[in-house]
Amino acid sequence: MHRIEIEAEINLMNENRRYARENRKILRENGAVAVNIMGAIGSGKTLLIEKTVEMLGDVKIGVILGDVVCSADYSRISKYDVCARAINTGKECHLDAHLIHETLKMMSGLDLILIENVGNLVCPVDFDLGENFRVVIVSVTEGDDVVEKHPEIFRLADVIIINKIGLAEYVDADVDKMERDARKLNEKAKIIKMDLKLNAGLGEWIEFLRGVLDVSRNSGRSCRT
Amino acid sequence: MSFALMILENVLRMAEENGARAVKKIRVEVGELLMVNPDQLEFCFRAISKNTPAENADLEIETLKAKSLCQSCGSELDSVHSRCSCGGWMEIRGGKEIVLRRIEMEVEDAQDRN
Ligand SMILES: Nc1nc2c(ncn2[C@@H]2O[C@H](COP(=O)(O)OP(=O)(O)OP(=O)(O)O)[C@@H](O)[C@H]2O)c(=O)[nH]1
Ligand SMILES: [Mg+2]
Ligand SMILES: [Zn+2]
Repeated sequence: MHRIEIEAEINLMNENRRYARENRKILRENGAVAVNIMGAIGSGKTLLIEKTVEMLGDVKIGVILGDVVCSADYSRISKYDVCARAINTGKECHLDAHLIHETLKMMSGLDLILIENVGNLVCPVDFDLGENFRVVIVSVTEGDDVVEKHPEIFRLADVIIINKIGLAEYVDADVDKMERDARKLNEKAKIIKMDLKLNAGLGEWIEFLRGVLDVSRNSGRSCRT
Repeated sequence: MSFALMILENVLRMAEENGARAVKKIRVEVGELLMVNPDQLEFCFRAISKNTPAENADLEIETLKAKSLCQSCGSELDSVHSRCSCGGWMEIRGGKEIVLRRIEMEVEDAQDRN
């Protein structure tokens, strides 16, 4: 019996990237679009998913919920006729590509997969899930400096949603300042001012989703022929 | 949980490749900006490595500090700062890697097998 020592030098972030690539491949093969929804605790991620499911009745939707401990969000979503899965992240502050890999493999026959990340504006940034689009939802009640305080997550977003605008006047938040901050950080992102309780901005969001679903459907068709 | 799982998968793969019967020590380095809690990582690793050759391994976790580099004067600090004492803005480098650095394991000698 003897001991050996191996210099492994394995960068585990590359492992996440490898799983993200695999996830992207699974999505492509299944012809589904995945959207990674990030935002602080209570910013409206679950309610956005509920409204989306209600408004896209003709689309086959899957929902993955990254839940820290309890499954309150899961019971909210499983009321609907969608394929919902909760992933218990333990104390982890983000989802990663490896955590959702098995779940994604099981979700076939869907057009759209909505992924609710763990409520956090910092940690999810570093973990590519293999998603096709990244959405950040912030609410005015987090303070109108929330965008400038978390530049990185906004820089990498495809869609930035400023939610609960109906409450702006009560919390003295300047919605236009938040929008300007977001635009300064990210020239290309679609910015939507929203209030999920007042159904404001939802049309724009649904239009965005329909657009990406159309593109996915058309590219899928040309691939198969 | 998933970093623990990635560590375990890689360790077990290498143990098998080397014909090891037990893993003795694992060294992992984690960038501080990943916000990985070492106790949590260790706890998860203990839970999932039960009944594997890695179950009694020492898990050594070192936290790697991020550095700040001043864009004006070029000075480097070993922690996260946004402004340098010269007034310049600082750029953050590193602190976001997680590396499985070294594994020690026990391998049977040829004569042990007889
Ligand atoms: N007034 C108002 N309330 C909202 C709006 N959007 C969400 N809420 C409320 O804010 C609370 C949190 O919403 P959720 O959808 O659960 O937020 P979440 O981001 O999923 O929260 P976590 O999963 O805990 O991170 C709920 O009570 C919602 O009803 C909005 O636009 N306006
Ligand atoms: Mg939620
Ligand atoms: Zn300086």
